[in-house]
Amino acid sequence: MKKVLIADDASFMRQMIRDIIEPEGWEVVGEAADGMDVVEKFKKLHPDVVMMDIVMPKRSGIDAVKAIKALDPGARIVMCSALGQETLVSEAMQAGARGFIVKPFKPDAVLSTLAKVAEKTS
Amino acid sequence: MDLAKYRALFLEEATEHLAEMSRACLALEKDPGSGEAIDLVFRMAHSIKGMAASLDYDSVTQLAHRLEDRMAVWRAQGRVDTPAGLLMLFRGLEGLERMVAAVRANGSSPPVDAALLAELAAADTPLGGAEKKA
Repeated sequence: MKKVLIADDASFMRQMIRDIIEPEGWEVVGEAADGMDVVEKFKKLHPDVVMMDIVMPKRSGIDAVKAIKALDPGARIVMCSALGQETLVSEAMQAGARGFIVKPFKPDAVLSTLAKVAEKTS
Repeated sequence: MDLAKYRALFLEEATEHLAEMSRACLALEKDPGSGEAIDLVFRMAHSIKGMAASLDYDSVTQLAHRLEDRMAVWRAQGRVDTPAGLLMLFRGLEGLERMVAAVRANGSSPPVDAALLAELAAADTPLGGAEKKA
């Protein structure tokens, strides 16, 4: 079972992702509510994929991507963005994120993006 | 989707966010250049927008999005640039508070406040792709 770490400052969004992915066989190993917490939990939990909001307190999603990629260049990260944030998504992808999903979440898009990112080998 | 569960979560978190936004707006009244307060209002508006969009609360989504855009402009500028801007910010906050109260009372999103949306969009600083600079 693949392990997922969810990072979003809204527990609403964390719960929604959990409700979409857990019934499909993904294991949520942890949740983080800010950009510092997600880096610390990544170190401890070694998830297969991180799903991360692009706007978070303490450290932005983009800065958190950079910090995680510095720890593990092979880290697989999916950004959670909203309409109108295309440039921020592009920055996150350049920083090393491997995919993105757009709020409001469509379960099929969440699951297919997660599966693709988890399968990527480079 | 368990709508009742998510509606309850929305009301709980949106209420907390609005209280934080209110405190930040008061801080901006004292110091319009408070980057911390500008950033907080930006993030809270972003968060409310995401939750409301997930529940199809269109009017809440639109107002939160417009407020987020406006905060992104001020974040790039480093301050809320005019007293009129601060007044607009308080009106945006009050609008969101009214809408969240309506969701709590009626279980659905109220009509769009077109006048308030227009006011936020018609301010002196150009919008459009504002968060791209954030």
